[in-house]
Amino acid sequence: MLRKLTPYLFVLPLLGFMAVFTYIPILQSVNLSFRVWDFMSPTKPWVGLDNYRLLLTSRDFWNSLKITAVFALISVPLRLALALAVASFLIRETAVSRITRGAIFLPAVTSTVSIAVVFSWVFSTDYGAINGFLQMLGFDKVSWMQDPQLALYVIIFVNTWKQLGYDVIIYTAGLQAISMEYYDAAAVDGGGRFHVFRRVTFPLVMPTTYFLLVISVIDAFQVFTIVDVMTRGGPAGATDMIVNMLYRVGFTLFDIGTGSALAVLLFIFLIALALVKARVIGRRVHYDS
Amino acid sequence: MTRETSARALWIINGLTLLAAVIFLSPVLYSIWMSFQTSDAYYSGGVDFTLRNYDVAIGQYNFARYLLNSVIVSGIVTLLGISFATMAAFAFARFEFRGGNLMFGAVVATLMIPSHITLIPNYLTLARAGMLDSYAGLILPAISSGFAAFFLRQYIRGIPRALDEAAYMDGATPLKVLWRVIVPISKPAIFSMGLQLFIAEWNNYIWPLVAISKSDLFTLQIGLARLYRVNPGEDVIDWPLVMAASTITILPVLLGFVLVERHLVRGITMGAVK
Repeated sequence: MLRKLTPYLFVLPLLGFMAVFTYIPILQSVNLSFRVWDFMSPTKPWVGLDNYRLLLTSRDFWNSLKITAVFALISVPLRLALALAVASFLIRETAVSRITRGAIFLPAVTSTVSIAVVFSWVFSTDYGAINGFLQMLGFDKVSWMQDPQLALYVIIFVNTWKQLGYDVIIYTAGLQAISMEYYDAAAVDGGGRFHVFRRVTFPLVMPTTYFLLVISVIDAFQVFTIVDVMTRGGPAGATDMIVNMLYRVGFTLFDIGTGSALAVLLFIFLIALALVKARVIGRRVHYDS
Repeated sequence: MTRETSARALWIINGLTLLAAVIFLSPVLYSIWMSFQTSDAYYSGGVDFTLRNYDVAIGQYNFARYLLNSVIVSGIVTLLGISFATMAAFAFARFEFRGGNLMFGAVVATLMIPSHITLIPNYLTLARAGMLDSYAGLILPAISSGFAAFFLRQYIRGIPRALDEAAYMDGATPLKVLWRVIVPISKPAIFSMGLQLFIAEWNNYIWPLVAISKSDLFTLQIGLARLYRVNPGEDVIDWPLVMAASTITILPVLLGFVLVERHLVRGITMGAVK
């Protein structure tokens, strides 16, 4: 009897906490997205799709969506291209390339808040490193984070700087998995480095690229910390990503219904992306075995 | 090209590569340097070495307490998270039981779930339980890691069953088999996963931001964000002080990183590329 119960006892702690803090909350979010509530009132009246309608007709929502999409469209290709270039350059297992890869990887495991604070200094108008450098060269100061035209690019820069190492690590593993035979064959055919890259490396590393593409789009739609610390979504909403809007609506405006509706929309979109990712991984594991 | 010149070319390439790495890390390296400067020296462009910023951050701004909070929370999350994940992974890898596949599917499904969907409901749950502004409120939502369970299950499946069976023959209980056979062999995988849990929790920002309002319970991340934000809009931020606080926040992970980079890289590439 006890024997039969054993596996259930082993999975109970994990699944118990998952039930309370993951599964049930998803249903609660969906439920709350159909209600109006401010954290305080004793009642939570049901309003059907009103919150969604409100969201889909609000300027803030479309602005957030646009900002997040622009962020993804610029930062994802940038991350991937840089990472592939760096990984290709550092592919040989020498001490120098290992140290350099380690240095590039470091920000990926470092506190995002610290990085955001450090780069707030780097880009600060009066005492920042970049404006100091510009002034040395005789240029004027630039208000990096106060200029709506520039602030988003600062955020993209900092995010790319932080995430690059992760992509490099994954690309390095992907590149090292390519059999040398392909390169030998390419060498027999003749052709320069660029030719080999275009005809051998790039197509063979495509599954890794696809994986990173999906991962980094998912990341892009969840960016929050860098923005919250550096610009708080400003100036004038220029860096107001989806999650920053979610946090603002839910926890500073106390509009639980709209916040939940936003969370549900984000959830549906990211689940769709994650299913694409699962298919990519599934196919790869299949190839391996 | 003669052999000698190509060796020299290699030296130059290596030198430039290392220089690029230093430039890449220069903002962080400089922030550490800046944290040891007096404010006056920093703003006048001089050099005046001091430990005062650390004294002020730790004493006046309570960063010793934040450090302790971060250590406690990340430590407990890692310990409980890895224990629950290992136990579940063992059951999924070794037992045939009714509903087992369904439960495993439910665990794997959490890998796709963006954490932000649970933000508002978890806040409400913990408010109702009176656990906002407590260690429990920081810890409990973070201790069920579907990724660790999934990853460890794959790993355990690679361990020959004959080892388990030999132990069962000797009269061991499942718990003993897990503890004496599976855990010792799985140490590298458990260690890699534990590191990832620890780092993720150490750097966690949005949940403590939501769940904690008492400054006694701030983690380093929240303390640092607040310290930096106390001043925005003011003409002069005390940058050397802020950088000392930032260094306190980065340093534990930075020091650990040098020791465990390989394990970390292995865990990440095993999870992603395989």
